[in-house]
Amino acid sequence: MNSTMQNKVVVIPCSGIGKALGTVGREATYEVVENMRKDVTETICLALLVSGDEESVQLVQHNKCITVDGCPLQCAEKNVRIAGGDLAASLRVVDALRENRGLKPKSVAFLDSDGQQLTRAVAEKIASKVDAILGA
Amino acid sequence: MRTKGIKVDDCKLSEYLQTVFEKFELRVRKGYYYTEDGVWASVEGAKVRVGVTDYLQRTGGDVAFVELVKLGSTVQKQTGIGTMETAKTTVSLLSPISGTVEEVNGMLSEKPELTNSDPYGEGWLIILTPHSLEDDMKSLMSADDYFQLMLRKLETEHRKLESR
Amino acid sequence: MVDLPQKMVGLISCSGEGCVEGTISRIATLLVLEKLRPAQTVTICLPLFLAGGKEERAFAKFYPTITVDGCEKLCAKIGTERYSGKPASSIVVTDLNGNQNCSTTGSKRKLDDQAIALTEKVAERIAQEVDEVLNHWK
Repeated sequence: MNSTMQNKVVVIPCSGIGKALGTVGREATYEVVENMRKDVTETICLALLVSGDEESVQLVQHNKCITVDGCPLQCAEKNVRIAGGDLAASLRVVDALRENRGLKPKSVAFLDSDGQQLTRAVAEKIASKVDAILGA
Repeated sequence: MRTKGIKVDDCKLSEYLQTVFEKFELRVRKGYYYTEDGVWASVEGAKVRVGVTDYLQRTGGDVAFVELVKLGSTVQKQTGIGTMETAKTTVSLLSPISGTVEEVNGMLSEKPELTNSDPYGEGWLIILTPHSLEDDMKSLMSADDYFQLMLRKLETEHRKLESR
Repeated sequence: MVDLPQKMVGLISCSGEGCVEGTISRIATLLVLEKLRPAQTVTICLPLFLAGGKEERAFAKFYPTITVDGCEKLCAKIGTERYSGKPASSIVVTDLNGNQNCSTTGSKRKLDDQAIALTEKVAERIAQEVDEVLNHWK
């Protein structure tokens, strides 16, 4: 990981285990960093950041960050702020759920079809934020 | 809490009856009245405030939408006053008493998560002017009775998991 | 006072972004929570735990925990020790794979057959540790 990478956006999901929306946020993040905006984004492990890993802290402090939270507790947003990260946007999966009413992702480990649909919606939102941040 | 089992706490100094299930603290507000479905009623002078219990919000999941009956509506006991939609399910909310809707919690349209974070406080749903409070109260449960019902529900849930 | 005896074990999985072992750690933990030992286990959300979630920390203080880490950084184990106490057991995915990183078909989240097999192995191991911990719990 190059903590001083230029012109990249760090997307940090909450990685919440135990809730389907946590999985959705994480899957959406991977969709963006591995496919949709793979050359301009990176992700890191929130637990590593929270435990004070120096490389992770430097990364969020020197690059624009987008957090993706699966529940209203908003661990990713709060912890990126605490680490002094350059928080450019914070997304909540529940807001995407409100915009896609009727979807009820049930499974946590492997997303069902509603979960996959919601993941795509969240990924689109993340990608739009990335574009806005990079001025695309 | 202690290392084995769950302790049921009936601390007289507390406003709540509470228990711990898995890692969650579940509370029942003393002095309120309850339906079996998990809706509470709190008498405030000539009016009654209505909300959902800790147990209902916890089992329902993170709330995405709360839709409530219109201001000025007349509701009958056990008829719908709205719905609470979560990531998992949609719960129909039934009125504990009959009455006229005097206030609707407008905060819930922007912050539905208040029903999760503060179900007995800021997450209240509606305020009613009751039509026949004394009669309606006869079929509501006290906090102690609802608490016991909740414990039985938790025990049933635990047994279902054990039998999987 | 009414007692509702409930022997439970808290499972704390690492967040595991950026490596397939993290995904394996999470999915194996979820398999135990949902299928293998649903009545005996509860999940502790690691980011919430580290950030001070009161329910997570309270549980981990009084109930035995098992940490599941994807790699040698041991975020779950170190965090648990720091904020609650020594876990009853710690599992590291790379240890169960002969101290090797798991090969993948390129994605950290789409597990190939080898990764799936390792996930099941980790899940079984977690379940065994749960049984051990509960057996020793007096």
